[in-house]
Amino acid sequence: MRNKHSWMVLVLCFCCFLLVMKCSVMEESAGVFQKVSQIVSSDKESVSKTTKALRSGFGDITEEEEYYIGRAVAAIILSRYPVYQDDGLHHYVNSVGKAVVFHSERPETYMGYHFCVLDTDEVNALSAPSGFIFISKGLLKRCEDEEMLGSVLAHEVGHVQKKHGLQAIKNARLVEVFTLLGKKAVEKHTPQDLSQLTDIFEGALSDIVEKLIERGYDRKYEYEADRLSVQIASRTGYNPHGLVAFLKTMEPDPPSAANKGWFKTHPSAENRISRAQKEIAALDHIPPKIKARTTRFKKALSRLQ
Amino acid sequence: MKRPSWWTGFIIVFFLLVSFLLAKSLVVQIKTTHLRTEAQFYAQTIAVLNSGDTVEQLETKNGWIKVKSSKGAVGWVHSSAVKPKRFALLSMAGDLQTKASSDEVALAGKGFNKQVEGEYKVRNPGLNFALVDKILKIHISPSEIKDFLKKGQLGEFRGEQ
Repeated sequence: MRNKHSWMVLVLCFCCFLLVMKCSVMEESAGVFQKVSQIVSSDKESVSKTTKALRSGFGDITEEEEYYIGRAVAAIILSRYPVYQDDGLHHYVNSVGKAVVFHSERPETYMGYHFCVLDTDEVNALSAPSGFIFISKGLLKRCEDEEMLGSVLAHEVGHVQKKHGLQAIKNARLVEVFTLLGKKAVEKHTPQDLSQLTDIFEGALSDIVEKLIERGYDRKYEYEADRLSVQIASRTGYNPHGLVAFLKTMEPDPPSAANKGWFKTHPSAENRISRAQKEIAALDHIPPKIKARTTRFKKALSRLQ
Repeated sequence: MKRPSWWTGFIIVFFLLVSFLLAKSLVVQIKTTHLRTEAQFYAQTIAVLNSGDTVEQLETKNGWIKVKSSKGAVGWVHSSAVKPKRFALLSMAGDLQTKASSDEVALAGKGFNKQVEGEYKVRNPGLNFALVDKILKIHISPSEIKDFLKKGQLGEFRGEQ
């Protein structure tokens, strides 16, 4: 009898150990196990330590926070470029965009993906965090079929999927905001905190806009977005040569456009083409180009002025 | 009548613990998502899940997760809409008097939100957030997407004439 009880106690202890390990592993997966402490309302220091431990980099920005950053970046872009007024065209571009998004690894964001056509002849495409994607009239005019448009949108979706916009935020700002939030985690923002948070928010937006519009992402991010474009477009069913065909329209860069939009913020088309071709060659299956898609593309863009 | 043995109690406790260990809780991280009948974005909606709702993972397939909601509804959600629910039974700092989970702490610590946007708008009155809201209203219904994919021979309709 005693042996039986001892055995049961041992198994129960093992179960409890597993239970504890489960909780530990879950915390560890977030990289915070060593620093997690729990809070009582009176223990602000503990809360501060915990929140700082929980959030330390761009990956710890929540979906909701990313949405508010993306909204503000979108508002800045829309203060520089007017929106092209054509509901039918927007409906078509959003349909192509959604088709591509559904075949990406991050099809769901806080409020979903939204695609907007900018009324400018400048050739440009921009993606703000959380899925606000802008494509210029000038770029649309360079696309000859839905394969090219789908590939360009897949490139922008790739930037959102990998959170390249958020990675532009200087780490010092994130440390500052997480520290501030850690100290005030259990309180409502006071006017002073709100002012300080908004200062950091403005700084973060400035970091993103500088990369997005002024200087462009690092080359490695552009190459990564091209790689994702090939993968996402082919998974959707688009012929991924659409990206290569589009890039070919971008070389040689016309001198008049050299310091504007895409030409200013993206690496040279030549390097990108050879890399994209290698990605395409590695695919198991290359979807064919379909005439029905080109027909609807031409119809949707027929009124573009 | 024979009294339940130690073994009966032990087996019940054992199975309860094993079920708990095997269950994986997820929490919705986006504003709303749909619980769908199939692992497809244009599949029929069973229920709408909101940010913070907890679901139990049942199985996974190609980036989709079959889940059971707190109200008992079973369906599919995309993995990008949810994240593992984290909780801490242990405190490495030795403070075991408290009950808040790390999720609650993270939530309490959220920073850039509507309140911050409001302050930012006051400082930057030239920015047109109304236009951003207009863009957010562009909506393509699931049936329109399905039709678009079908006519363009995209997605699951590849190769169809």
